[in-house]
Amino acid sequence: MNSPAKSRRSWFDWFFFDWHPAEALGAVRFYFGLGLAVYLYYQFDQNLKIDAFGAHFAFTRPIWYFGLLGIDTNIPWISFAVMPLLLIACLFFAFGKWTKPAIIAIIIGIFYMKGVRDSFSGDVHHREIPIFAILILFLFSKCDRMFGIDARKKGWAPIENWEASWPLRAMQIYIAMFYFWALVAKVRLSGLDWFTGGGRIQEVLISRALRDGFTPTGEVVNLSLGWELAQQPQLVWFFGALVFVFELFFPLILLVRDWRIKLVMLIGAAIFHLSNYALMNVQFFLYPFVFVTFFNMAEFHRWLKSKVRLRRAAPAEA
Amino acid sequence: MSKRSVKRFIALYFLIFFGAIFLRVDYFPLSWVPMYGYHLAGESVTASIGDKSERERGFAAQRANGERLFISADDLNVPNANFRRLYHQRAFNNGPPQDDRERAALIAFNRWWYETLVGPDPRLNRRYHMQLLDSVNRTFGYGPNDPQRIVRLEAALDHATFDRDAVASGDLSKPTIERRVAIITEQGGFLRKGDKIIPMPNSRERETVE
Repeated sequence: MNSPAKSRRSWFDWFFFDWHPAEALGAVRFYFGLGLAVYLYYQFDQNLKIDAFGAHFAFTRPIWYFGLLGIDTNIPWISFAVMPLLLIACLFFAFGKWTKPAIIAIIIGIFYMKGVRDSFSGDVHHREIPIFAILILFLFSKCDRMFGIDARKKGWAPIENWEASWPLRAMQIYIAMFYFWALVAKVRLSGLDWFTGGGRIQEVLISRALRDGFTPTGEVVNLSLGWELAQQPQLVWFFGALVFVFELFFPLILLVRDWRIKLVMLIGAAIFHLSNYALMNVQFFLYPFVFVTFFNMAEFHRWLKSKVRLRRAAPAEA
Repeated sequence: MSKRSVKRFIALYFLIFFGAIFLRVDYFPLSWVPMYGYHLAGESVTASIGDKSERERGFAAQRANGERLFISADDLNVPNANFRRLYHQRAFNNGPPQDDRERAALIAFNRWWYETLVGPDPRLNRRYHMQLLDSVNRTFGYGPNDPQRIVRLEAALDHATFDRDAVASGDLSKPTIERRVAIITEQGGFLRKGDKIIPMPNSRERETVE
């Protein structure tokens, strides 16, 4: 009979070490890296919508680490220099060339670009928080050992399954719990009032729809769908209830092995983000790219390659 | 790393990232994920009604030498989304959402560490409008005795107030519209509401929803 210590160890092994094959980690790194380049560009392109050699704006409320470093003004051209470096680092990371230094470069780039974007007016956004947590796991994993340029050129030996599995499982926990903690935060701050009637969602719908005012004919300039929804409190309540159920039960995905069930759950999460964008301009809509961490992307990659090959072969046969 | 080291790493990793949730840390890269979690139901819902053309023209300003001008996002070299926050929120002495929620409903231990390590509740000394004036002058390099310095900024914005019952029934057709002008001077901030000029509101809870 197993001792309690042994069975605890077995559960840990089952949960963290026995979930993904070795090939999955490198393939996830590849697709995550490509998505990351797009995601970060979209998050920080705002820093480039100013004159590179124009005024050096004195930040109203520098982010905490800018405060510590004494960075209190924006030197615009630096963002124009950092952005391409950040994107190149994402590509190096994706293609597995100098992978670990690339991760460090990405993290530094995120800190800088986020610091600039959030220090103008002091609103600190949360869109880079899960990305940072995931990059830390890539940094401490053997994600560079397979499915990359360095791995191929240097002829590194394949890693073991458990070495690929634990970082992916840890990423999945972080991503899944992010939704759950968001629900806990709502309840901690506002109780169930957050959901009562139209609740907080209806207020955000109203304020976001009015941001750019009305047209001469009385329509809101932007987010007209959100404005319409704000006038349907029962529907808003229903969506609020859906958010509650979604955020409460999303961590169950951590116990699902079947990729089809996972795909359905993650499509639901993606719809949640897209709806938030369409209705309230919440800029998390590209965030679903992180969901690649839930799948064996090596299998997907093989499937994609076979499709591409078939498509290329078809005209030749014809 | 051996399996044993990995287990230790995972434990440390989640101790840090999930420990921040217990402690309600919201400083990048740690967060307890509060985003839109703060909701305080009042008697009414007040939201600002933006006007892109007015915003593009920028703050009405006055120099110490009496010259009048407009200061736009282009003059300050600030992205439009950030300028909107400066114009709609900071000028009216409303801070970023994280300041509103940081100390709300804290348990005693978390209140203790926040007050010991971070400082007092940011809502107790709101002077976002004065930070804005200071920031404008520093951007242009104007010192405290410079005759070119900006001594007055104004931001005008309509505000819509919806009765709570009307919001609950989904009737958003008849809000009370009020023109408000934030007036920021070296001596302090004021708010013009219709014909009245009052000191800039400094209460803990903001009136306008964001």
